Amino acid sequence: MNFWEKVGALDRRWIYLLVALSVIFPLIVPMSFKISITPEAQQLYEAVDSLPDSSVVMLTFDYYPSTVAETEPMAIAALHHLFRKNCKAITLSTVPLGGPSMAERVTRTLAKEYHKVYGIDFVNLGYKANYVAVLKGMGTSIESIYPTDNSGTPLSKLALMKKVKNYNDISFIFVVADNDIVTYWISIVNAQYGTPVGAGVTAVSAPKYYAFISSGQMTGLLGGMKGAAEYELLVRAQGMAEKGMGMQSVVHLMIILMVIMGNIAFFAARWAQKGRSE
Amino acid sequence: MNGLAQFTALNRLSLDLTTGLQAVYSAVPEILKHLKIRFLLTTALAVVLDYQLVDAATSDSLFRVDRINALVTVVLFSIAILLYTKWAKQGKSLFVRKIAGLDAVEEAVGRATEMGRPVLFIPGIQEIDEIETIAGISILGRVAKITAQYDTPLVVPVRYPMVLAAGQEVVEQAYVEMGRRDSYNKDIVRFVAGEQFAFAATVNGMMMRDRPAANIYMGAFFAESLLLAETGNAAGSIQIAGTARPEQLPFFIAACDYTLMGEELYAASAYLSREPIMLGGLKGQDLMKVIIVALIIIGVILMTLGSGELYRSLFEAV
Amino acid sequence: MRTIVPVIIAFLSGFVMVISFFFNPDRAFIGRIESEVLVWVTIVGGFTLLLGVVSITRVNWHAVQSKKEGWVYNLLTLLSIFVMAIPAILPSSWSPLLGRATGSIYDWLFFHVDYTMMATMFAMLAFYIASAAYRAFRARNPEATLLLITATLVMLWRIPMGEAFLRLFSDNLPWLFSDNLPDKINTYIMSGANVAVQRGILIGAALGAASMSLRIMLGIERTYMGKG
Repeated sequence: MNFWEKVGALDRRWIYLLVALSVIFPLIVPMSFKISITPEAQQLYEAVDSLPDSSVVMLTFDYYPSTVAETEPMAIAALHHLFRKNCKAITLSTVPLGGPSMAERVTRTLAKEYHKVYGIDFVNLGYKANYVAVLKGMGTSIESIYPTDNSGTPLSKLALMKKVKNYNDISFIFVVADNDIVTYWISIVNAQYGTPVGAGVTAVSAPKYYAFISSGQMTGLLGGMKGAAEYELLVRAQGMAEKGMGMQSVVHLMIILMVIMGNIAFFAARWAQKGRSE
Repeated sequence: MNGLAQFTALNRLSLDLTTGLQAVYSAVPEILKHLKIRFLLTTALAVVLDYQLVDAATSDSLFRVDRINALVTVVLFSIAILLYTKWAKQGKSLFVRKIAGLDAVEEAVGRATEMGRPVLFIPGIQEIDEIETIAGISILGRVAKITAQYDTPLVVPVRYPMVLAAGQEVVEQAYVEMGRRDSYNKDIVRFVAGEQFAFAATVNGMMMRDRPAANIYMGAFFAESLLLAETGNAAGSIQIAGTARPEQLPFFIAACDYTLMGEELYAASAYLSREPIMLGGLKGQDLMKVIIVALIIIGVILMTLGSGELYRSLFEAV
Repeated sequence: MRTIVPVIIAFLSGFVMVISFFFNPDRAFIGRIESEVLVWVTIVGGFTLLLGVVSITRVNWHAVQSKKEGWVYNLLTLLSIFVMAIPAILPSSWSPLLGRATGSIYDWLFFHVDYTMMATMFAMLAFYIASAAYRAFRARNPEATLLLITATLVMLWRIPMGEAFLRLFSDNLPWLFSDNLPDKINTYIMSGANVAVQRGILIGAALGAASMSLRIMLGIERTYMGKG
């Protein structure tokens, strides 16, 4: 095996090592870059920003703990935006594994910062099984699906929920998700009840939702950590996403360089083989 | 536009639609050319357009006329499926194009038999109520028949108890049908873990220890798709994957030898069994796709000419 | 009976739900069936979670009892289930460590064990994608070359450093690139080719799912029942 053939068949553990170094390096040498805003993120920001103060927004924590690096900064930035605008936030989750706990932690932390009161400015509905039934049921009555909030308080005892009966009383739905639930929010809630829906999703899922943006069924999209960083920049609340862009940049560049090297090795090995056979 | 002019315009539109369909797909059933059907189509269009302006929430009608476009689609789709199924039962030969990934299944099992190593099959990581899991289980039945025939070890790790029960039934039935009841073992289908990454970690361990010769992933997958596929690649297995999740397709395409995309997964059961009734359903689905393509082309032309608003209103979401 | 009854149930449930979609719930009972059934499904869904716990417990307990290979891990699984679930179910009025509120055992275990482990497993994907990209992104043929170029452009577009690099081309070669190159990538790749392909796959997959659902409703497809 000549040099280029060896490079082409590089042991994957060397690649793992390079990735690890690419992630560690920006932690030691902090980097910051100018982040440009995509039209989709701008659209989502403007949709929320144009809501009248005291509008009710449903913010969903439809993500698993595995994707917190990408999705939690979006939820945090969204809450900064909502609380700053004095919008009321109703949070819920269609994810049983920790969705309500993550919602609880994020909302309570930010509520302290903005002096928001639970039950008046925000409510955490928690989790209910079977998301199709939940999404459809809330179109008729939220209380029929969630008779109590996440802590067991009846909705009738919460000042905010006395005014909010179903989707007609909700101005915007901000979905933060790492799975296909966004499609159901669009096809059930937006299509059948007309409530505008915007979403923050993982980078892997984001390409799928460009089709919904283009057809007008979705108002704005944040894709991955870059999308979260854009929203943090727009709401002027620097968080983990903006700091993480340094790492993401270095890793992407490393992968691109590896791919180029792999292709050089591929062609060099091919020519060498051709030369040998001639 | 008054009622008569509207009706005339709609009649012309429906004529354009049917003529267009005939031009694109010569096997459109004869009934569509019939005047009666054109009249029904025109009337349906008239009803849709008339009632599009009515607020369904305040409407007093028994029937949700704002959803008539969905009803027409459902009826058309059902007719297409039933018609082709009927023709298939009557012995009409139906052409289905080659799907390389499915042709490779038997090859992969053959490879596993020669190497004396097992075949690993994962019917997705979702519950039994997901249509992709049902498709995966249905393919499992076909694959189990092949492994029973060649007496190749089969391993099927699953994530949910209900999928375990369905998988065991399907595999047992396959072995019984192939006359290999004695080769069947309840542990072929095994419940592994309830959590996504715990499942991935367990299956990765199984792959690195048992070194299956063939890995077949058919169903709904999420982030663990790349973990499974890369580990399978490292273990030296031939890999065939199929999922209807567009976001996971790139990972399978990069790491697997064959990938079934989107509806090829749903077609797999019909393709592998070659049962006329199942193939008929597949052809009916294809007819629907042709109709959609024709409607899209018509819409693009009308919108480009600047007169597509009427046409667009027919497809308003429900 | 074992075959006919499930097929009849599948047909009736599917048929009723489809029909219910087209009737006004304010005017006809059949229009209300859809929302009623969905509420029932939510309730039943809660019980299936319980069923899942019972099944996991039974399977793992059986493995521990019969000392199957790796039974220690099965025991660990059982302990994890009960250590997490029991304090969460008990009323928080007994102790602040019980229930699911902040500061409870459940909350601590979730954020310090589950949360971190799941994030770690997901983070491993970065390593795997790097090695998959190194192996798969080779210009073997025109299609693979197109994949390689598109992937490289999108990877560059998604990072600030890459955007700045792409902008260098449009700023310094205006005769070749009439507009901001990152915006062009967004327009032509993400909002152009990508949307077309995603729509095609979505429509195809939706039709496939609908066809499969119809086959199940009509009893043509019965493999999920174990009947090939």
